[in-house]
Amino acid sequence: MPQTIRKLFLPTAISLLVVAVLWATSLGTLPSAEFTFNNGTEVKSLDPAQVTGSPEGRIVHALFDGLYRPDPKTLEPQPALALSANPDEILSSDGKTYTFSLRRDAQWSDGTAVTAEDFRWSWQRLLHPETASQYHFVLSAYVVNADKYNAGIVDPGDRVEIELPDRPRDLQLYPRGTMLSGKLLEIQRPPLADLLRELSDDEKAEQKRKWIYTVQVDGQQRKFSQQPPAGQDVERCLHVLLNFNQVGIRAIDPYTLQVELKNQTPYFLYLMQFYVTVPVNRECVEKFGYPDWIRPENIVVNGPFQIEFRRLRDRIRLKKNPLYWNKDAIALNTVDALAVESSTTGLNMYLEGDVDWMPSPPSEVIPQLEGREDYHAMSSLSIYFYRVNVTREPFDNPLVRMALSRAIDRERICRAILRAGQEPAYSLVPPVLTNYVAAEAPAYDLEAARRLLAQAGYPGGRGLRSIEILFNTRSDHRKVAEAIQQDWQRLGVDVRLRNLEWQTHLATTRKMEYDVARAGWIGDYPDPNTFLDLFVTDGVQNETGWGNPDFDRLIDRATREPDAAKRMQILHEAEEIIMGELPVLPIYFYVSINLVKPYVNGFFSNSQDLHPLPSISIDPLQKKKLVK
Amino acid sequence: MIRFLIRRLLWFLLTLWTVFTVSFFLMRAVPGGPFEGERNTETAVKQAEERRYRINQPLYQQYAYHLGMAAGVLSEEGKFRLGFPDLGPSYRIRDYSVNQIIAQGLPVSASLGILALTFGLVVGLVAGIIASLRRQSWADTSVMLLATTGMAVPNFWMAGICIILFVFMLPLFPAAGWGSLSHLVLPAFCLGAPYAAYIARLTRTGMLEVLHQDYIRTAYAKGLPARRVIMRHALKGALLPVVSFLGPAVAGILTGSLVIEKVFHLSGTGAYFVEAALQRDYTLAMGVVLVYTVVLYTMNVIVDICYAVLDPRIKLQ
Repeated sequence: MPQTIRKLFLPTAISLLVVAVLWATSLGTLPSAEFTFNNGTEVKSLDPAQVTGSPEGRIVHALFDGLYRPDPKTLEPQPALALSANPDEILSSDGKTYTFSLRRDAQWSDGTAVTAEDFRWSWQRLLHPETASQYHFVLSAYVVNADKYNAGIVDPGDRVEIELPDRPRDLQLYPRGTMLSGKLLEIQRPPLADLLRELSDDEKAEQKRKWIYTVQVDGQQRKFSQQPPAGQDVERCLHVLLNFNQVGIRAIDPYTLQVELKNQTPYFLYLMQFYVTVPVNRECVEKFGYPDWIRPENIVVNGPFQIEFRRLRDRIRLKKNPLYWNKDAIALNTVDALAVESSTTGLNMYLEGDVDWMPSPPSEVIPQLEGREDYHAMSSLSIYFYRVNVTREPFDNPLVRMALSRAIDRERICRAILRAGQEPAYSLVPPVLTNYVAAEAPAYDLEAARRLLAQAGYPGGRGLRSIEILFNTRSDHRKVAEAIQQDWQRLGVDVRLRNLEWQTHLATTRKMEYDVARAGWIGDYPDPNTFLDLFVTDGVQNETGWGNPDFDRLIDRATREPDAAKRMQILHEAEEIIMGELPVLPIYFYVSINLVKPYVNGFFSNSQDLHPLPSISIDPLQKKKLVK
Repeated sequence: MIRFLIRRLLWFLLTLWTVFTVSFFLMRAVPGGPFEGERNTETAVKQAEERRYRINQPLYQQYAYHLGMAAGVLSEEGKFRLGFPDLGPSYRIRDYSVNQIIAQGLPVSASLGILALTFGLVVGLVAGIIASLRRQSWADTSVMLLATTGMAVPNFWMAGICIILFVFMLPLFPAAGWGSLSHLVLPAFCLGAPYAAYIARLTRTGMLEVLHQDYIRTAYAKGLPARRVIMRHALKGALLPVVSFLGPAVAGILTGSLVIEKVFHLSGTGAYFVEAALQRDYTLAMGVVLVYTVVLYTMNVIVDICYAVLDPRIKLQ
């Protein structure tokens, strides 16, 4: 090693260190926002067609305006882009067609008007199979032909649209390639090589890509396939879908949107205030593509706020949108949504005054927080329950399930273990839905449970194999599982606990490799159906192996029942069935807890834990007093 | 020296490739995929997502595709290109690519790491030297007691105590967050303290060993002042163990710490090491692992060069 290098070494090392330290300390300071809240985690996406969780929903609702917005207190739909929420004005006499008149003063942040066509296009994007939206059911389950379009189902005789494989950018869904429209004449399905066994869903989808569609396009017969066979006269296409004109979503004129439903849906307006139904700006999406259109420098919005900047896992800074149609009603100029994941850190920041609203404080400190002026607790539209795998012995016997359910002391779990105001659950539908009377499973009774178990052929638990409770790793879940383990041991049942990390837990439950598995469900809209229709036979969310034709029939009948009171009665009967057979064991109803500084106005507790930012304001005098 | 660097570069590529391959297959061997959530998705939705992210392809094809992108020879569409490595889109943080996520997080982790490391180095070296020179005095005993405690105390506990003391009891610093220099004081202290402790111990041991060597005695015999003997001759030799410790330590500290980032809500890359794996965000997990490998390897090369500089007996080969 040359002497010069050796001589230069120390000065170089020291100067490097100094430069590094200077760089590390050269941070610009960030002025705090007018209102700061903890959003709980980094949002997965801000594309309304992609998101699923409530942290994402809070931001999407701040950026985009849909037809309706929930009232911050009652959650009743309030007109946003639609002019009226009065059924007499917007609903046809048969209760199946909504005609929404849109306000004319709404505009995008690039200055163009928000029109009915924006809704039509955005909903087409939401429903398009390639978008893979998990919440497509908000439209596809209710709107005429929307499910057919979404699932890519076409029948001979249908008007169809065909997309040719010439998209400007391969990986982008929009702008699409050349679109042809025509009438489907025939579908040729390749002969199934192996009919002896049932094909899996994946294999069926693979097969479907080879179907050959004969379509009448402009007077010519042409053949298309997603995977055309070699050597034949078949053109390759990306999709053959039902022509979107056939779907019950129509832009009658720039300010009139018409939606035709399959059945009367009393809660349809609640769905229309769901964040997935907001329109997005076509030009912006097509110009930048996904995900670049969401970048703060590109995104075009129509809601009360715009993104000023987004720092991953730190914060999203929102600023008031000067072009918002109702900008005078928006009190806040800047809002910070922090992505603090640790609830303890979040609590520290709240107590220090860095954060004005903090949802879900750590459960350990709730007894100390209860009763404070800034503590808001409210029973929520969500349930904590156990799934029971009814395909496995001994759970195939309803008596065993009933015995297990009656042996769970839910009162003790809520009062002694959770201690944050949770309500013991004996039904699937939470009591916060006031227009519905839940059907309850029999209450806690250890003697009755013992008798039931004996009746099932296992007196004192003799002859019963040991049961495993599966839960995802979290101390609260463990405590609940241990309490239930003790309860069941009193029946003479041997119970083991197994915890799995979250993703593995989900996969294991999905594959039905469990005895009893912990689960939770948050209602998507304030109606019993959001809890009950999970458990229709072979339903995607069922995962218990349970099915009951009477139950399925009732759920189906309820969707077609026009009379609201009768409909609730039918759903009640359906719940009676499931609570009589107990493929799921309800444990407790969640409670939503928020810490909100007293100087924050316009914040209300409600069953869906929705707190729209537009209605929030800060009382500066009170804030000053409190900070002093 | 040039030959040394070239050889190291070849080994570097081999190491990266091995790490890539092992992590790629290990991650996919774990049950559960990136697109599973509490709400079950229908097959069609799942397939569309899997097609978009190419998870439906056979494993070897995915491997070739991702390796090509990471090596900078394949574009996202699967066509040939030459350019900067592309680690692909993140499966969980959907609006960003892995490159963008790391580009946003690494400076945060690095600046915190630099401060913590500087603190650790300065305090550790000074304490270690003092302890070795005042061997078995009260200064030595208390420094070593502190150092042992500093190493034994887990940093989440230390962070908690610091928050209670300096945020709530004595409101000197903000509780958490990122935005000004005062936000960094507590996390840098909590992150740097164990390093300071370790460096102090290493320096002390190194010094004690060197101080008994002949060339030090010779230096004293020549009549050199004590300060000069220690700073010019003894310290160089005593630093060797510290330098070899610093290599991996720097890599670890620059790429972020899960615990400190969580407790102080800092948006560095440390949390991704655990979260990406838990959420089966294959590409992001791969990204942080590769970045860590690169930094670690570079640091080790620098350590080797430092050895040759500090100790004339060592030759780079």
